Amino acid sequence: MYLTKEQERILEGEKGEALSKMLQLIVKIGEVNGAEKLISVNSAQIAGVSYLTVGDAIFSFFDMINKDNLKVKIPSWLNPAGMDMGRYKEMGIDSLFSKKQIQIIEEYRKLGIKDTLTCTPYLVGHEPKFGEHVAWSESSAVSMANSYFGARTNREGGPSSLASALTGLTAEYGLHLPENRKPEVLIEVDAALESFADFSVLGFWFGENQGGKIPFFRGIKQLSIEKAKSLSAAMAASGSVAMYHVEHFTPEYKKIKKEDLTETIHFTEEEKKAIYERFKEQDNIDLIAIGCPHASKKEIKMIYNVVKSKQKKSDVDIMIFTSRKVLTDIETVSIVKELTKKGIKVYADTCMVVSPVTRQNYRNIITNSSKAVFYLSKNKETNVFLDTLENILRRTLR
Amino acid sequence: MKEVEVKVIVTGSVRGEAIVSKKPISFLGGVDGKKGIIADIQSELHGKSIKDKIFVFPESVGSTVGSYVIYSLKVNNVSPLALVTNHAETIVIAGAILAEIPFFEVENRDITKIVSTGDIISIDPERRTLTIDKKSNS
Repeated sequence: MYLTKEQERILEGEKGEALSKMLQLIVKIGEVNGAEKLISVNSAQIAGVSYLTVGDAIFSFFDMINKDNLKVKIPSWLNPAGMDMGRYKEMGIDSLFSKKQIQIIEEYRKLGIKDTLTCTPYLVGHEPKFGEHVAWSESSAVSMANSYFGARTNREGGPSSLASALTGLTAEYGLHLPENRKPEVLIEVDAALESFADFSVLGFWFGENQGGKIPFFRGIKQLSIEKAKSLSAAMAASGSVAMYHVEHFTPEYKKIKKEDLTETIHFTEEEKKAIYERFKEQDNIDLIAIGCPHASKKEIKMIYNVVKSKQKKSDVDIMIFTSRKVLTDIETVSIVKELTKKGIKVYADTCMVVSPVTRQNYRNIITNSSKAVFYLSKNKETNVFLDTLENILRRTLR
Repeated sequence: MKEVEVKVIVTGSVRGEAIVSKKPISFLGGVDGKKGIIADIQSELHGKSIKDKIFVFPESVGSTVGSYVIYSLKVNNVSPLALVTNHAETIVIAGAILAEIPFFEVENRDITKIVSTGDIISIDPERRTLTIDKKSNS
């Protein structure tokens, strides 16, 4: 791989052992993937925040990094934590967990990383620009960056995105190169897609059947940012899909040539129904969990419009997960107050997947996110069901 | 004596006893970073230690947080001598670099079918070879 003199000096340890290791990591990953050089990235989005997933392993890593007093070179933000940083007691988080979680975020802050604590940086003012190279690691955000915004990022891991944050660099391979961004399969969407859950079901189905490929969707009639987010999250979870195209909506669809698409698969009402059927509500629901990925202002308003004239049943808890930025937005604050009066909890900084409370305290969870279903159902003691937001709320409100 | 060509990801000259997982390994959840033992209850190696052994596995899966688990093996003095896989990907590359554990990839062959648990193997990064010095059942 070609390296500049400065990059070579960093590798040799001129700026300390920690930075040398961080750059080695990027270079090696690049070499294995056939990269010829390193390129600059404009932002990093870093996973590996919740104490539930990183455990104590991360502290020894922070010790190594801190020896050299490193700071990030580019704007860098964190993925969600394992708890709402303000209301963790109310959530039922134990004191050991909260102590460790606060420490982890403090360590990241020392490096100059912003504690946005969201999987949706693009909903809190960090929309990536078309054609811009970035190093993001939250899988749904990676897909949004590539597909919806036309920015360029591979599916980074926690450590590699952190390495990019500290060096400002990544290796040029994979989705950074235009030739790797072409679709590999045409999906004719014959089924009607209305709700966020419908888009999530399409994503789940594609990921499960064609994982790893880049699809070109035809027949989708509308694509809001919320719908794209549901679609992105589901495919990334079930099939590690980092990019897709949607005819008429995503920024790179016009570059696609018909002859590139040799394989066609149909997504019909039948496929859609089969997924809903598989995750159909069977038991008495004890938790409704919304906000995977984090709910937007629009979604919170939508929920409020459905619930405002109704009452929550007492045996069901309702939790909405969002970013702190959305939660504290002037427009959201008054809505959240009303929702809270109805016994609906709106939490920031965390979600049903990375917080321990959902698995610990609930047995029958329903959500409108296939991504949440995918991860929560890995726990054998938890039953997880999928439906549209409208159906879920209608059945559980009076 | 059998020789296999390897690609060097993190260099180091090693000789030791192999411990072979037939199944893909998820370092997060699958390996105890404090004790250096296989924690995955579905693994045939469950409860076995990888400390001071050459850990051979077909590929790695699971969360990218797995890199930090590999790093903690080193910090807790329970790290393997080396890692050998059929397919080197980001999680283990990152972990091996951070922890400075020699790491090798075997291309075009399934190393988990060539090496068995208990074999004594040596890896020469200069010559890029993995040699089985002694089979476990011989």
